[in-house]
Amino acid sequence: MIETLPALLAGAVLVAAFSIIIGLLLMGFDRIVAARMQARIGPPLTQPFTDIRKLLAKENVVPENAIPWLFNLAPIIALASAITILFYLPIGGFAPVLSGGGDLILVMYLLTLPALALVAGGFASGSPYATVGAQREMVTMIAYEFPLAIVVVAIAWRLAAAGISLPFSLATIEANPVWGLVGPLGAIGLLILLIVLLIVTPAELSRVPFDTPEAETELAGGILVEYSGKNLALFSLTQGVKTVAMASLVVALFFPYRLAAIAGISGFAGAVIDLLVYIVLITLVAFISVSVIRVAMARFRINQVVSVYWIYLAIAGLAGLLLVMVDQIMGVV
Amino acid sequence: MAGLPLLPELVRQLFSRPATNAFPSRHLPPSITGFLAKVARGEATIHPPIPTPPKFRGKIVYDREACIGCSLCLRVCPAHAIEFIPETKRVRIYVTQCIFCSQCNDVCPKNALHMSHEFLLATEDRYAESQIVE
Amino acid sequence: MSAEKAKKTVPYTVPIGPVHPALKEPVMFTFGMEGEIVRTVDFAPGQTHRGIEWMGMRRNPVQIVHLTDRICGICGIVHSLSFARAVEQIAEIEVPERADYIRTILHELERIQSHLLWAGVAAHELGFDSLFYLAWRVREQSMDLIENLTGNRVNYGIVQIGGVRRDISDEQRALVEKGLDYYQGLLDQMATLFLKDSTILMRCRGHGILSGDDARLLCTVGPTARASGLNMDVRQDYPYCAYGDLDVKAILPPPETGGPQGDVYDRIIVRLLEVGQSIGIIRQCLGQLPAGEILWEPKMAKLLSVLKKAEGEGIGRVEAPRGECMHYVKMAGKEAPDSWKVKASSYSNLMSWIPMLQGEQLADIPIIVASIDPCLSCTDRVAVTRNGQSDILTKEDLTRLSREKTRRMMQ
Repeated sequence: MIETLPALLAGAVLVAAFSIIIGLLLMGFDRIVAARMQARIGPPLTQPFTDIRKLLAKENVVPENAIPWLFNLAPIIALASAITILFYLPIGGFAPVLSGGGDLILVMYLLTLPALALVAGGFASGSPYATVGAQREMVTMIAYEFPLAIVVVAIAWRLAAAGISLPFSLATIEANPVWGLVGPLGAIGLLILLIVLLIVTPAELSRVPFDTPEAETELAGGILVEYSGKNLALFSLTQGVKTVAMASLVVALFFPYRLAAIAGISGFAGAVIDLLVYIVLITLVAFISVSVIRVAMARFRINQVVSVYWIYLAIAGLAGLLLVMVDQIMGVV
Repeated sequence: MAGLPLLPELVRQLFSRPATNAFPSRHLPPSITGFLAKVARGEATIHPPIPTPPKFRGKIVYDREACIGCSLCLRVCPAHAIEFIPETKRVRIYVTQCIFCSQCNDVCPKNALHMSHEFLLATEDRYAESQIVE
Repeated sequence: MSAEKAKKTVPYTVPIGPVHPALKEPVMFTFGMEGEIVRTVDFAPGQTHRGIEWMGMRRNPVQIVHLTDRICGICGIVHSLSFARAVEQIAEIEVPERADYIRTILHELERIQSHLLWAGVAAHELGFDSLFYLAWRVREQSMDLIENLTGNRVNYGIVQIGGVRRDISDEQRALVEKGLDYYQGLLDQMATLFLKDSTILMRCRGHGILSGDDARLLCTVGPTARASGLNMDVRQDYPYCAYGDLDVKAILPPPETGGPQGDVYDRIIVRLLEVGQSIGIIRQCLGQLPAGEILWEPKMAKLLSVLKKAEGEGIGRVEAPRGECMHYVKMAGKEAPDSWKVKASSYSNLMSWIPMLQGEQLADIPIIVASIDPCLSCTDRVAVTRNGQSDILTKEDLTRLSREKTRRMMQ
């Protein structure tokens, strides 16, 4: 925990700037990789920066039958809450800015905030497309929360079963990588949980096949249909920051290793190595759960989104949890 | 992969060349004229254009000397793009009106009309010099 | 049901169109929704009327044939062929055999490119952009072939009254054969990609159902009708061009895939199988391509004078990629035809949207609307603008107007 207020503020600003830049780069990376998979050339890596700069220069149109204050407030809340998530997640070798101030359960709640802001903005738009999109976003949110909770609980339960105190704390998870605690059966269970989390990620970021709230061909952008200019730029930034946050969560839960410390490198070089490893890892997560999934599938219907999460992924998650539990009991016996 | 038959193809495409026809330059240069000047000096290379097919019908070419002013082409032009000038007994063709069917080429008894391979014809002025063939 | 009426019986309405990313062409839908379920459907075509028939009635047939190229951006040859056949009937022109074969080859090449275009659009409507890019990339090969044979990619300008304007050389023949081999090798892959994909299966099987009876009652044509199990195809029922010499059978969804169910999935199957059928037809045509002239009358001036003297009525029917396309022409010994009526295939298929869409989800609207492969710029014919107010005339309106005029004339 950082003690002084100025240091805290400096940390917050650094994390915000870092997450926005890395988020936009990840979006650019996703666009290039997706384009290459579709045998296209794709835009340059910096295209999202250009897009944001252009959006910031554009006029902000508020529709006639919108609720202006809510309509304008929603993007700000979305971006702020998305950045706040990263205050609680470790970035590279650095401890979270607000470590000790919150744990995984708080992170889970914070993850819903940008989506809720989006829903509020959608309802405030006063367009039938945005309303349908907002309804769908809420349903999607309810759908993916359950498997997400199973993954988080499974990991915390395993730590608690190993007799470690404060199992939901991210510092604890980092100090005790969960892979080291389980036997082969538990490793299979963890692998299943990792896959579940990777499939929850595209819904959290509302990408194909779970992009029903935005669904270009059905709702013409759905929840974002009325947004333009600065507001849309803020939502785009939110999208980038959320990608970083979700990828960081996956990395924090499943790859909480500090290679520099293991290799015995410390100081500045160690920090750089940790940061680079972290960036490579979140890029990998973004590649698998955003780019690959989105190019390989058609969009689901909203009821199919729900059944995918509530039935298939929930069963998979519970199976993973069960395997971890069986593994623990067998280990004790 | 079961259920997602496209996935192996997508992974293969990730590592192969894009199928898109390349633009003249890889990305939009800061200044197009500057880029073209560089190309002229040999400092930059330009992706060659895709060739037009052999029977392509582009901008019309008019052989004024061969024309006898029979005005048969006016009768078959679906777009009324050809105007007969009585004083000179020759025709004037408005490229902005032309629909590139080349019917006038077929009807011309003296083979005075042809289609070229030129297709970059856009301008802002309907009556620009490049848009009128006579 | 009108939009106002729909508002009273359903919780809310969602307008789609006239311009919307789900629609490639303008048409106005009003959906009465209950949650995500479509309860009532109303649509208003006529957003893209261009008055092409009016233009035609002021031009001679040789000019019109090039106008017909531009009725549709995809069916470049269908309309001109249909029109030319109507005029040939009236003027009793016999098309040389070689020209008939060349017409057939291009007709089928066009079917390949149109069906692949549709496959791409359908994939895009499902949110499956990778497949859309793939389908359109594959389509380029057929576009290149058409470009090589006719000169241009879209407006071919190949059909002339009494024949075709460009011959197929031996070199081009080899090119076409190479292109056909490419598609032959690709057919299985395309079938796997579209039919074995679980996300496509989830979205298309059992949705947008049009029963065989409904299909017959609503007079649907083409792949839409065949997917519902109607055994009909102009090429089979009323052979034209070279189809009489060839063995063409209407393609129905095969029993291996569950027989004709009339859903979106069946329409995908029918179109993919028709690509294979077209390859076979072109091969057969190239194999037995007769030698000879390609024009009934190469001298345009002579052709024009024959057409000027022609009197009578003619109907040209061809099987467009979307179904039967019909042109009615009436000539009365004048330069321009007395009457020219275009009935594009989508015109017959539009009404099938209503039974297909009722009870489906909002998410299924784009793919169901796209599943009949609507071509609205071909279809829109009657739009009236008077005093700044535009109006679409229905059959009832036209009957009423016609009766009123008869009464006026009798007075």
